[in-house]
Amino acid sequence: MKKSTYLALCASTLLYAEAPAVKPLSQRTFSQSQFIPDISLIVDTSFAYRNKDQDGLGGLSIPGVVEDFFGQGETDGHEHTGYSSDNGFNINYAELVLSSNVDPSFRLDSVFHFGLDSVEIEELYFTNTTLIDGLRIRGGKILSNFTRFNSQHQHFWDFNEVPLVYKGFLGSEKLNELGLQFQYTLPLEEYVILGLEVSQGDNEKSFGNDTLTLSNAQEIKGADAPSLLVTYIKTSFDIGDTTVVPGFSYIHGQSRSLDAHDGHEVAFDGTSSLYNIELTVKHYFDSYSFLSWQSEWMRLEKKGDEYHLENNVLEVHDQKIEQEGYYSQLVYAHDQNLRVGVRYDSIYKNAYDFSEEALPSTPYKRYSAMGEYHFSEFSRLRLEYTHNSALFKEGVNGFEAENVDSVILSLNLAIGAHGAHDF
Amino acid sequence: MRRILFLLIFLPLTLTAKLNIAVSYPYIGALLHEIGGENVKVTVLAKGNWNPHFVVPRPSLISKLRRSDALIMNGAQLEIGWLPPLIRRAANTKVNPNAQSFLNLSHQIDLILKPKSVDRSLGDVHPDGNPHFHLDPNNILILAQKISDFLVRIDASNQQEYEKNTAVFMKKWKHHLLRWEDVMKPKKGMQVIQFHNNLAYFNAAYGLKNIGTIEPLPGIPPSSRHTLELIKLIKKNKPSCILHDVYHSTKTAQYLVDKTGIKLIIMPHDVGALESIDSLVGLFDYLTEAIDYD
Repeated sequence: MKKSTYLALCASTLLYAEAPAVKPLSQRTFSQSQFIPDISLIVDTSFAYRNKDQDGLGGLSIPGVVEDFFGQGETDGHEHTGYSSDNGFNINYAELVLSSNVDPSFRLDSVFHFGLDSVEIEELYFTNTTLIDGLRIRGGKILSNFTRFNSQHQHFWDFNEVPLVYKGFLGSEKLNELGLQFQYTLPLEEYVILGLEVSQGDNEKSFGNDTLTLSNAQEIKGADAPSLLVTYIKTSFDIGDTTVVPGFSYIHGQSRSLDAHDGHEVAFDGTSSLYNIELTVKHYFDSYSFLSWQSEWMRLEKKGDEYHLENNVLEVHDQKIEQEGYYSQLVYAHDQNLRVGVRYDSIYKNAYDFSEEALPSTPYKRYSAMGEYHFSEFSRLRLEYTHNSALFKEGVNGFEAENVDSVILSLNLAIGAHGAHDF
Repeated sequence: MRRILFLLIFLPLTLTAKLNIAVSYPYIGALLHEIGGENVKVTVLAKGNWNPHFVVPRPSLISKLRRSDALIMNGAQLEIGWLPPLIRRAANTKVNPNAQSFLNLSHQIDLILKPKSVDRSLGDVHPDGNPHFHLDPNNILILAQKISDFLVRIDASNQQEYEKNTAVFMKKWKHHLLRWEDVMKPKKGMQVIQFHNNLAYFNAAYGLKNIGTIEPLPGIPPSSRHTLELIKLIKKNKPSCILHDVYHSTKTAQYLVDKTGIKLIIMPHDVGALESIDSLVGLFDYLTEAIDYD
C-alpha cells in the first residue's frame, strides 16, 4: 500500500513538475476569497399522487377562507403555487441563501426563492445586535418572528404544507413583510423575549393599505404605510430534558382587498386583528431522539365596509368576519435517520356578518401523517399522506364537500454552508 | 412582577461581584473553575452526555448567554451547528466572537487530521482538523495557560489569584500526567475501533492506533455494507477493542461483538458523560483505566 502511494506520488510529481505552483488561498496576495459570504442552496423536489385529477383540483376552495386551494392563483401581481400543486413530478423550490457579517455592526442575510419560472426575494435583512445589550434589530424583508412557525423556512417545516390557519389567515407565504423588527431579551434567569415589528402592511390575505378603484370609478381610500403592527411575547423554561415554549402574539393593521370574478366585484375596507397563542413542548431522549408537540391557535377578526358591485349597482354593507382555528402536531425523531409525525388542522369558526351565500358549516379539517428518512443532515426523503376534508366545490345547490387525499414523496437536498439548527 | 423588579435591580450588582462566564462544554467549565476559583461563576451550555456536535439549542441557553460577561468555546467548528444563532439571539456584545471577552480555545492548539480536501461526500468533515483536542491530557496544560491569560486580560484585578490557581493546577496535572503515562505505557501500539474518531488526540498521546470507525464516514450513521467490511477487518487485524462514545447507540457495536467476540468499552468524552465522571482528573482516570489489555 505504502509503496504504491509512494510510486503514485513520484509519478504525479513528474507529471506536474512543469506546472506553476498554485499557492494556498491564504497566501495569495490580493485574494479576497476568504471573504466570500456563506452560501447554501436548498432544493425540494417531489412526486405527488392524488385521488383527483388536475381538473378536479381546480376550483376547490375553503369558502370564505381560501380561494382556489391548489390553484396557481395570482395575488399582488405575482404567482403563487401550492406545494406539489401538480399531480406527478414537481420541483417545488430552490432556495439560495447568502449571508455574512458586513462589519462589526451589521450582518446581512438574504434568501432567494426560486420556482421553475419565478424568483422572489423571500428574505433580505440586516441585523444589528450591538446597539443595546439584549436588543436585536432587523430591517428589510423579514419573515415575522411572531410565532415559531412563521419564521421557519419551508425546508425546516415538519409537513409539506403550511397549516390551514396560516394559509387561510395569512396566505401560503405567511407574514413576510417589509419593515423593522425589534426583539429584546430580558436580562432574567428565565428566557423571555418581547418583539415589536412595524411593517409596510401588505399581506395577501388579511392586510393591505392600497387605494382601490372599482370598475365604476368608485374609489376606496387607502391608508398610509406602514400600516401593520406585530407584537409578541415568548418565554421558555426547561423541566429536566423537556423544554416548554409558550408564546402570545397580537397583530393589528389596515385591511384593503379587491376580488373580482364573473363580473362581480367585492372590495373590503377596514382593519384586521390576528391573535395567536402557541405552545411547543419538546422532550429530548438524547442528542438525536426527541418527541415534540407543537400547537397554535389563531383568531382573525376583520371589521369594516364591504363594497359589492354587480351590473353597475353598488351596495355597501357593514362587515365583520371572525375566523378561528388551530393546528396541533406531534413529531417523534427516533434517531438521526428516522422521524415520524402527525398533524391535525382545523378551522372551526367562519362567521361573516354579511354573506351572499350560506357558507358550509364548520369545522373544516385536514389530517396529515409523515415519515422521513434522513440520509445525513443534508438530505431527507419524506413520504406524507394528507386527508383534506376542508375543501368544497361550488355546485348548483351551494357548496359541496370534496375530500382530497394525497400522497407526496419528496426529496430535500442542501449544499454549501452548514446552517445551524434552530430549536 | 415584584420578582422581576428585584432581579432588575440586583442582578447587575451580583454580576459585578463575580465574573459570569459561559463555556460551551463541561470540560472547559471544569478547567475554568480550577483557574478562576472563587472569582468566576461558570455557566456550562452543553450537557456532558450529549453529542458535542449536536447540542440542543434550547431557548434557555440564550438567556444564559444574554447574562454572561464572557464566553469560552472549543472552536474548530465543533459548535458550528448550534452556538452561532444562540450568540446572535442573545445580542450580548460581550459574547460576540470579535469581543475581548470571547475565547476560542482551538486557536491555541495544533489540530491534527486536517483534511487535505473538503467535500460533503466525505461525510461531516471538519475543515480545520479534528476538534476533540481536549482528550489529549497534555493539551489541558496549554488550555489552562490560555484560560489563565484570558482571565487576566478581562479581569486584571485578580491577576495574582488566577496565576496562583494556574500554578497549583499545573503542578497537580503534571503529576497526574506521569501517572497516566505509566498506566498507558503497556498499551502502546494497541489497535482499536471507534464509533467516531473522537479519541484521535487521546490515541495519539498514548500510541493507540485507530484502524476503523463504525460510522462509514464522519457523521454518517452505520450501514450494513460498512459493518460487514468491519467484521472482515476485525477478523483480519484483531484489534483489541471497540472504544465507544456514550451518545451513539451501541447496537452496531454489539452486533460486532456478537460476530467477532471483540471487547466493547464505553469511553466518556467529557465531564458528566457518565454519572461517575465529575472532574477532569476523573475523566482521564476513567479513560486510562477503562482500556484493559491481555
